[in-house]
Amino acid sequence: MRKHKLARRSVLRGSGVAIALPLLEAMHRSTPTEAATQPVAPRRVAFFYIPNGVVQTAWNLAEVGKDYKLSPTLKPIESVREHMLVVSNLDRIKVAGTDGHAQASTCWLSSAAPDELSPAGYPLKRTIDQIIADKTGLETSFRSLELSCNPYEDNRESIYFDNISWFGHGHVARSLRDPADVFNRLFRVEEHVNSSSVLDLVMEDARSLRPRLSTLDRHKLSEYTDAVRTVERQITRVRRRQDDIAKLNPTTPIKPWQAMRRDEFIQVMGDLMILALQSDLTRVATLMTGPERWGSPLNVEGWFDKPIQHHSWTHGQHNESIRKQLEKLDLFHLEQFASLVKKMQAIKEGDDTLLDNTAFLLGSGLSSGEHHVCNNLPTVIAGRCGGAIQTGQHVRYSEGTPIANLWQSLAQAMGVEQKSLGDSTGLINEIS
Amino acid sequence: MTANLNRPPILICLLALIFALGLDLQPPLANEPAPAGEQGQRKQTLSTIIDYHQVRGRQSQRGESGKREGELDFSLLGKSRMQGMTAFGPQWSNNAHLLWDGVVGDSMKSSFQVDSPGLYDVSIQLTLAGDYGIFLMTLPQSSISREIDLYSNRVELAPIVVLKDLKLAAGPQTIEFALIGANTKARKFQNRGYLMGLDYLQLTRKDRNSSKPAIADPIQETPNTPSPTSQDQEDKPDDPNTNAAAPHQKLNLQQISRFTNTFCIDCHNTTSEETEINFEIPSDGKSWQLDPTLLRQARDELADHQMPPDGSEQPTIDQRNAMVKTLSSMLSDYLRTHQVASPTAMRRMTRYEYNNAVRDLLHLRGDIFPLPEKTLRAFTPYFEPATGHSPRAILVGNRTLGKNQVERQILTGVNPFAIDLQAEGGFNNRGDELGVSPILLESLLRLGRSIVHSPEFDGYCGLTASLFSSPEPQNQKRTHNVEKERIAKLLERAFRTAIDDPTIKRYHAYFRSRFEETNSFRTAMKDVVAAILASPRFVYIAEASNTSDSKLLSGYEIATRLSIFLWSSIPDEELLTAARNGTLLDPEVLDRQTQRMLVDPKCHALTQNFARQWLRLDQLVTAVPDFDRFPRYYSRIGCEQWKFGLQMMIEPLLLFDSIMMEDRSIMLLIDSNYSYRSDELQSWYTDELPFGDHENRNRFNTNQQRYTKRKLTDRREGGVITSAATMTMTSSPLRTSPITRGAWVATVILNRPPPPPPDTVPPIETDDREIESSGLTLRQRLLQHQESTQCATCHAQIDPLGFVLENYDAVGRWRSSYTSGLEIDSSGELFGELKFKNIVEFKNALLQHPEFFMRAFSEHMLSYALGRELTLADEPTVNTILQRTLKSHGQFTTVIREIVQSQAFRYQVDDSGSQEIR
Repeated sequence: MRKHKLARRSVLRGSGVAIALPLLEAMHRSTPTEAATQPVAPRRVAFFYIPNGVVQTAWNLAEVGKDYKLSPTLKPIESVREHMLVVSNLDRIKVAGTDGHAQASTCWLSSAAPDELSPAGYPLKRTIDQIIADKTGLETSFRSLELSCNPYEDNRESIYFDNISWFGHGHVARSLRDPADVFNRLFRVEEHVNSSSVLDLVMEDARSLRPRLSTLDRHKLSEYTDAVRTVERQITRVRRRQDDIAKLNPTTPIKPWQAMRRDEFIQVMGDLMILALQSDLTRVATLMTGPERWGSPLNVEGWFDKPIQHHSWTHGQHNESIRKQLEKLDLFHLEQFASLVKKMQAIKEGDDTLLDNTAFLLGSGLSSGEHHVCNNLPTVIAGRCGGAIQTGQHVRYSEGTPIANLWQSLAQAMGVEQKSLGDSTGLINEIS
Repeated sequence: MTANLNRPPILICLLALIFALGLDLQPPLANEPAPAGEQGQRKQTLSTIIDYHQVRGRQSQRGESGKREGELDFSLLGKSRMQGMTAFGPQWSNNAHLLWDGVVGDSMKSSFQVDSPGLYDVSIQLTLAGDYGIFLMTLPQSSISREIDLYSNRVELAPIVVLKDLKLAAGPQTIEFALIGANTKARKFQNRGYLMGLDYLQLTRKDRNSSKPAIADPIQETPNTPSPTSQDQEDKPDDPNTNAAAPHQKLNLQQISRFTNTFCIDCHNTTSEETEINFEIPSDGKSWQLDPTLLRQARDELADHQMPPDGSEQPTIDQRNAMVKTLSSMLSDYLRTHQVASPTAMRRMTRYEYNNAVRDLLHLRGDIFPLPEKTLRAFTPYFEPATGHSPRAILVGNRTLGKNQVERQILTGVNPFAIDLQAEGGFNNRGDELGVSPILLESLLRLGRSIVHSPEFDGYCGLTASLFSSPEPQNQKRTHNVEKERIAKLLERAFRTAIDDPTIKRYHAYFRSRFEETNSFRTAMKDVVAAILASPRFVYIAEASNTSDSKLLSGYEIATRLSIFLWSSIPDEELLTAARNGTLLDPEVLDRQTQRMLVDPKCHALTQNFARQWLRLDQLVTAVPDFDRFPRYYSRIGCEQWKFGLQMMIEPLLLFDSIMMEDRSIMLLIDSNYSYRSDELQSWYTDELPFGDHENRNRFNTNQQRYTKRKLTDRREGGVITSAATMTMTSSPLRTSPITRGAWVATVILNRPPPPPPDTVPPIETDDREIESSGLTLRQRLLQHQESTQCATCHAQIDPLGFVLENYDAVGRWRSSYTSGLEIDSSGELFGELKFKNIVEFKNALLQHPEFFMRAFSEHMLSYALGRELTLADEPTVNTILQRTLKSHGQFTTVIREIVQSQAFRYQVDDSGSQEIR
């Protein structure tokens, strides 16, 4: 993948999204809540999710420290390895009673401890991206952005397989799958503004409904009232930013996502995510490259001749020919990740780059899909998050270190202090 | 399936014999569930099979009400088959007749259904031809015989035989045609015997005004309006599941412990490390007998012969049945005294419901946005249950898989929000999975606006005059009153509740402010509608926390539950009126409303929304049979590739439609003697090379096309299980997947979803040719792989349900052996007891024990109706529904009406101070 800089007017790859990118430094300087001693640009965090785990043998690194030799699957990050922190031996405890895959996606970012079960049987509480967004979202137009490159049009699996971001148990921050919808949400200022007039009315309806409901249903209704408040704030802020957005001069993506190649789809979604982070429309994003399990075959053009069967391959990986295919698929995902990392690196923010101010994390809720194992979850963090992360190395933690330690550390890097989080036992030393 | 392939010949003949000899031995409309054999065993006694085709709650109202088509309405048994008659002229009713042949001495015996007792004229239309015989026609119940010579030198209709003033009882009437000889001029058929042809038989009621055809209610002896207080008497046959057994005495406590001590306690004891289930009385005194979850598990596993495991000492059939009955009764006792049902949570509408609700609220001519999940796209309206008649031909396209069939956009600028996903093993209408996020709220806010302001709206909306047009100019006060009235009326319908003054004032104030800003009555009123469409009181199906002791829902709440259930939409005016004046709380009124709603075309939602999800038909969207192995599954048109699944998917849905329209038995979903197929789909089933020699391009039709009702004479076809749709979507690209199929049958047909597979699953070759090259069949290969007992126990339950379908290849075509020539072994057993050798015997087993499927279907439907997962506490409700359904032999409307009448549907759960049991 060649390194390329985004031109002032660049075309999002393949999508037909043409966007003029003005320098947004002025905006960064004017962020009022940042203290003078803090870096000028805001810190951002983004999560890049790959479903069904990875082939561990091709993923694992032998050496730790700065001079580790890249494993076959991690090859694509070669040219940007100095911006990467690779972490081994982080664990998530799997709980019995719910499907291994549904749990993998749903509980990966969860702030619940394994013994803290929701009524649905998942250790599921507000996910770490939403906890961070509770703070950072006070300053941006959109509190967070949830994206998914789920290409399936059948309804084979439930929401638990298709979402990594949750406001809480039973309250999903459902992801957008259509780049055109993402685009419209981010850049169609007038749509937001036009919605404002009825907000008081519907909020009043919610209030009139509330006293009549049972406790359980009141809880459900708060999803609605929370959403109204979020949208209200969003409208105010989007309105405030409308000149900036107008300067971006965006045009709608023309190509329908159904017609996109697999890599194109992931890159277009990634580009939209980068654009939102870069223009400070949000500081928190999640991007699923695909849903968990979902045993439907899928075309990965240019990489595989026949439709791939990601999930069933993971269970057949002790067969060498299947494993090789799976390794190739893991490589494909790493290529997509590396490509987005390089795009972030090419975006200047003062003396730094967008990548320098972001923690862009690749991971999966399973280490290997073969036995639904959750120890040694594949984890790579790109970017220094405004200097909080010591990149350029591979760190191996002692076995059984909970991944909640990483979430707590990332939250802290984003300015959200948590005494503890789920089953966390401490912080990650490489993040401060 | 080519005609020369192996049939299960012995079975077919046996069946034919038994039907021919004694269909009336077991009157299909008997009151009690069919007893399953002398000793109460689930023995395969063919005489207990009921012909569920006789069940029909609605007769055709199309002026031919009393007409029974030979080829459609008579059971095609033995040598009976349908023959199309268009080649001989247009005079045959339905363009076909029933054809039979035999040698002198044989007879054709069948029966027709009489719905209500009375005095009838019976007209019989037969066919004449050169090789037809002389028959003695008898109606034994009426002691009538008539000799008829069917010879003619050309093929034509015989003079109509009219039997006048017959007094007929309700139920099946036997009719027999004995071949007693032939006209001297007649030539022999196939050098041995003679034929006969029956076009139709028509009943004309004599003792009642014949202009109003009798609406059949084959379950007249069943009270139509069950009263909710009859709980106690319902308990008598405790559990139809086990009641198939002969009456057994319940065991007393001593006998119970003798049973557990003998058969259970070796493994299930206090010290066992293998299992936590313990049948010893523990020291803390909390006996297993007070654990409902365990009671149910014990009962089910005992009844299904899963326990005691193979190799352990087994109870006798009587011992087992007595213990099962005892456990059932202990469970009912527990459930009766413990209120443990889980409440139906408030939930927002699904996307499907939102579309229908907006459509009906605003009287729109159609949908508001394209819904690929609304699979059937009818090009001429055909779903009219009021006619009691499922048309012979239906013109329909597939929105889900026929990409060209989805409307691009219906109203300019109106875009749907994301589809709601199905819960695992359930439906997409569960409160705990239907959330509102900021993104959804944005969508709703935008939707309301974009609908009313779309350029097509005024012509699309039926309220343009009554709601949006500006009223006659009057003084200000009266103008305001008109505005308020209009708003109040709209709000009542939208929010499905009485509207208080503050709400009206609020919306009116909003109207005034919009009016002042835009100076347009129409625009201001549209803005009001836009707000309503995003209001939580519209999008949430909410029920007030009930403070009454009875917990009976309010009229409005029942109305909403009912319309959401049957129509996936909001109540109409009539239902709302019954809700407003409280009459809907009367179970009889509620039942009348239910029946009225069930003949409204809007209940097509039960096919489009319920049946599609229940059958998990969406999985056909991404089924990809291997392109090289199954090239005919694909067709290329332009640069687009199409899958034949788009035609397959229609078939089970139209079967479901026809059952609803004619109110037939749900057992036809297991085994039907007809199916709706396009010509190409018929070719898929019957031709060696489907579609002939078509090239890849334009191989099959991808647009709307004609699906015609076809009589099936081969019981390997018919019903949903063996449909090409099911067989294809439960296969992998290069081979069938018996485990997926077994899990599908266990989940969809039996509602006993298998537990999730363990984390370590051994791999199996993905191509059956690869497996067969080692000399093994897929079945043998899979067995090799279940060496551990942990795997074997579960798979013993799942796999037979999949292997019985091995004769259907990965795209649903019949094969008598594998391509390598290896034989297919499709034998197995169901619940450890019902042995079957092939698919027809499997279907027979399900027909003989209708309680399995009827229970599963009722559970699925109840879960859909309540929008929640069922728990143990719902078992009594399900039992009641099941009993009534068994009595009506699975009549579709019985299931629905019983659900609506049930406690669970009409009352709120009292969850104060109760624990939840799963």
